[in-house]
Amino acid sequence: MLNIKNLEAKVDNKHILNGLNLDIKPGEVHAIMGPNGSGKSTLANVLSGKNGYETKGEIKYNGENLSELSTEERAQKGIFLAFQYPLEIPGVNTNVFLRTSLNSVRKARGEKELDTLNFLKIVKEKSSELGIDEKFLSRQLNVGFSGGEKKKNEILQMKILQPKLSILDETDSGLDIDALRIVADGVNSYKNKENAFLIITHYQRLLDYIKPDFIHVLSKGKIVKTGNADLGVELEKTGYANFI
Amino acid sequence: MKNFYDFKVDNIIGLSSKEKEFRNKELDLFDKNGFPNKREEAWKFTDLNTILSKNFTNITNDYISLKEKKFELIKEFDHNYLFVLDGKLVSNEFKFEDKNKVSIKEYDYEKQTFVRNQNSLNLLNNALASGGYSLEISKNYKFRKPLVVYNHFSESIKEQIISYKNSLILNENSEIKILNYTDTNSKNNFFVNSFDCFKLKKDSSLKNIFINKNRCNCYFHNYQKSDLEHNTTLDNYILSTGLKFNKMDIEINLNEEHAKSSVFSALSLSSDEHQEIKSSLNHNSKNCQSYQKIKNVLNDQSRGVYQGKIFVKQEAQKTDAYQLSKALLLNDNAEFDAKPELEIYADDVKCSHGSTSGSIDLDSIHYLKSRGIPEKKAYQMLINGFLSEILEKLPEDNLKKFLIEKLGR
Repeated sequence: MLNIKNLEAKVDNKHILNGLNLDIKPGEVHAIMGPNGSGKSTLANVLSGKNGYETKGEIKYNGENLSELSTEERAQKGIFLAFQYPLEIPGVNTNVFLRTSLNSVRKARGEKELDTLNFLKIVKEKSSELGIDEKFLSRQLNVGFSGGEKKKNEILQMKILQPKLSILDETDSGLDIDALRIVADGVNSYKNKENAFLIITHYQRLLDYIKPDFIHVLSKGKIVKTGNADLGVELEKTGYANFI
Repeated sequence: MKNFYDFKVDNIIGLSSKEKEFRNKELDLFDKNGFPNKREEAWKFTDLNTILSKNFTNITNDYISLKEKKFELIKEFDHNYLFVLDGKLVSNEFKFEDKNKVSIKEYDYEKQTFVRNQNSLNLLNNALASGGYSLEISKNYKFRKPLVVYNHFSESIKEQIISYKNSLILNENSEIKILNYTDTNSKNNFFVNSFDCFKLKKDSSLKNIFINKNRCNCYFHNYQKSDLEHNTTLDNYILSTGLKFNKMDIEINLNEEHAKSSVFSALSLSSDEHQEIKSSLNHNSKNCQSYQKIKNVLNDQSRGVYQGKIFVKQEAQKTDAYQLSKALLLNDNAEFDAKPELEIYADDVKCSHGSTSGSIDLDSIHYLKSRGIPEKKAYQMLINGFLSEILEKLPEDNLKKFLIEKLGR
């Protein structure tokens, strides 16, 4: 599904990614761990198509050259990034945002846009699964939401848009144990043979709930070690020092 | 240099000799000043004289309006209406109201109100105004439905100035919502110089909304003078957009205790539009409140100006006055100028002011795009979000819905 070959990324002439290779197949859960500044969020941003990065190398998504697609086209084709810091958008109602987003994606896929009634049915179902109070949805997007509420809102968007590849950028940061469990349950219930996850995290904590197939250690912009779920446990004990 | 205008009091039909004399004096005063330029404080950011001289060859005041004109009523909400053609009251209908409680007449220039101040356009209005209306609402009468004033301008007006005065008296404990709906799609250049005088008697309330139906190539200047008695409320909502030039000069006198007034503005400007709001909120008595919130979105080479003044007289203790302007600039060639003015003589008051301008947040655009929303739509969502704070304050659901749709939001 995703094939990254020798990816380099620079921002303001500073090298952040230095020849990263990664292959993700449908149904797989990959975790990327690594110390601060190793390039985890840059990888997420580059995959989402954020401006400001100078890149080299190749990223193929279902055979298509990702660098030729705009951010919105990537989203429409099923790439979803749960932001580390979801943005607050004053004056934009959360429900209106969710509906615009879903209908933009549906339209691009050649599906019929949903009317208010059908849309609300979906939102109600998905938000109750995540324990999100409906009142939140009539508020301005992320404005005044707590850290945990913002992260839950990201997972809600994921469940509504039904992406093929979900990238979770430190979704566990700022979450208490209960919220972490809800978020993890949200991810687990969405996992299936067709879709894949790339989970970016500092800690083993989230991986206790979402079991990865592969764990990669990222250091200085490269994957320096790949292992199975046991690698996370080891990292938790020994730290990153052995790998960098 | 040859003037680009030629105004004559004699072009106005049916004036008494006394009136002629008054008007000629006003015209002489105007001629001494000419059209305003940046030397005048009220026009600090705009040289109207130069703007007009570049866009007109010879402005005259001899337009004769046709009497009949078909016009299209707004269907989206129930309303009463006045139909005003080229500044002249042509017809009216108050089918939702008790007709005994409403008085509507042509404006009476024998009893006119006039303003002589730094703004020479007021002198010009005093000299040349004809037409206009006087509306009076009886004591304790509250309008059931809004009143729409259809301000239509004929397509045959070209290189002309149209001047008129309107008056509105709200007697004790009366209430009305007015939508000033300018309707012209003329491609011609002409100038509209109007004067509105509002008197709000004790406990009355007026909500006054400005919007236009089409884009047009004309120049508008409106001076509004309002006098507020005890416990009255006046709210102005300025939503006009698509006008080549528009200046609203608003003077609100809070003359008695507990009078309240707001000026709200949500403007989305593009191409070479120029819109100005100049306000003077005069706190002449204690315990009055004023609130001004101006939001501008500026694209292309458009220009927005806000000069907001709060004046607090010595006896106006416990004044609560607030003003804030925010501009969102979408293009490097767009410009927004703001100048808050506070003149305070009382010592126990709460007055605040602020002004910000900035460009659109690209991280927010990225966030929306990452959810599959096309870039253009993402921009529109952020712009609407920026203006929504004002639009949410509009009164009456059906009217509000109509206005928001009209603005394309």
